[in-house]
Amino acid sequence: MVEFLQFTLSGIVFGMIYAAIALSLVLIWRGTRMLNFAQGGMAMFTTFIAIEVIYKTGSYWAGFAVALAAGVVLGALTELIVIRPTAGKPELNSVIVTIGLLIGLEGLAGILFGAQYRSFPSAFSVTGIHLGRTPLGITRADLFVVGAVLVSTLLLAVLFRFTTAGLRMRAAAFNATVARLSGIRVGRVLTVGWALAGLLGALAGLLVSPSTFLYPASMDSIFVYGFTAAVLGGLDSPAGGVAGGLILGVGLSYVSGYLGSNFTSIVAMGLLILVLMLRPAGIFSGASLRRV
Amino acid sequence: MSRGLLIEDLVAGYGGVIALDGVSIEALPGTITAVLGANGAGKTTLLRAVSGLVRPRRGTVTLDGQDLTGKGPERLARTGIAHVPEGQGVIAELTVEENLRIGMMSRRVTRAEKAQSLAEAYGRFTQLAGRRRKLAATLSGGERQMLVIARALLARPKVLLLDEPSLGLAPRVMAQVLDLVVQLSRDSGITIVLVEQNARAALAIADTGVVLNLGKVVATADARALAQDVALRHHYLGF
Repeated sequence: MVEFLQFTLSGIVFGMIYAAIALSLVLIWRGTRMLNFAQGGMAMFTTFIAIEVIYKTGSYWAGFAVALAAGVVLGALTELIVIRPTAGKPELNSVIVTIGLLIGLEGLAGILFGAQYRSFPSAFSVTGIHLGRTPLGITRADLFVVGAVLVSTLLLAVLFRFTTAGLRMRAAAFNATVARLSGIRVGRVLTVGWALAGLLGALAGLLVSPSTFLYPASMDSIFVYGFTAAVLGGLDSPAGGVAGGLILGVGLSYVSGYLGSNFTSIVAMGLLILVLMLRPAGIFSGASLRRV
Repeated sequence: MSRGLLIEDLVAGYGGVIALDGVSIEALPGTITAVLGANGAGKTTLLRAVSGLVRPRRGTVTLDGQDLTGKGPERLARTGIAHVPEGQGVIAELTVEENLRIGMMSRRVTRAEKAQSLAEAYGRFTQLAGRRRKLAATLSGGERQMLVIARALLARPKVLLLDEPSLGLAPRVMAQVLDLVVQLSRDSGITIVLVEQNARAALAIADTGVVLNLGKVVATADARALAQDVALRHHYLGF
């Protein structure tokens, strides 16, 4: 029973990280109907920037803040420089461009920061928390992970639901022509969407790296899990992305706990294939609504 | 300085296709100009070129003497052009009120003005008032058309471009929509350009009729005169 509780809690922690990646993918998907395969690579890059800043200044939070800012800038620049020229071209173009960007970022990170594994510090203590005498299998750092993703998800939800800027973004995502005819600068809205996605990706990189080591390809598998979570939840649905992340995180935690960690990748892949075959619109997608 | 919308020698198209070939139209404030013609005559392209969705290759568009040619739709929305595109003007995934709020994004409004404008819109479009929190997807065809027109009006436009507002509506609902168009032009002095497949209904409410064929204007005349021109009606308008 204690084991089950521990697996569940640590699953939730990892699930929140997948959720952050999933959310960043959903943000871009809703705005541009494209998948950013470079999302993990961008997160890796900003986390490297964080480690350099932490190393130079000795302050974790300075690195944290700089990495988030770098995520915003990298997201916006990517949209302006790399993605915008693919607008109106076949969809495959943008896919290939983001894969190219991923390879480019991983190569550049190797040149700038070195290809060796580096350990990334954690914001808070990594000693386990106990409930009475029972070890819960999670740490203060894990609580920070959950809190940080929850807070940013809530902020995003508030932004989208209750602000004019959020309405502008939703209008541009759902019907770009009507948005433009209503005076909304859709290009600018897309840049903001990519910047927000970059921010979330950077956050995910910062949160996951203490438990994975940091190296140029370190975010690849995290990206795949985040992508699976996004597909699971339906690429259209932010709430679905978060739910997908949690389901996947907890599910994979059971798999790794009870069956062995060798099975996590194959189960995740199997799940991805299963969802794409049975319910390609995702579990929480608004696709049926869209067809009206 | 000329008043209203002045379109001169407009040429526009898509790739190798010329959809508009030297079209000139003058639409005065407070009047309805019906643009008629068969499928492919260039009616929709004309509206798209005026609202900036298509960049004209030649010719000019001016509004109250101000040159608008070649500007993007985001800019033109801010200068008073409201274009209600055919069919899919409602954003189904947003609520009725969110759709309406989008109508005010082209102008600077304070919170109080926003609330005031929304209240006016609900006052005029009473069937929307009870549905503000409902998704636009749940509206009927007629209600959707009312919603897009209400949204366009919230931009306080000088020119309203309506593309096939009666498309797919039941005859009674269509009559309501066209009545509304007449009211708007009388009350507000907006310049209305109405593209319609249903030429008879359009000419019945319009002041001026313009007949397009293969991208060219073949007739511009008083709407009543056009409606009585049997040869022209048979040839281009099919009634």
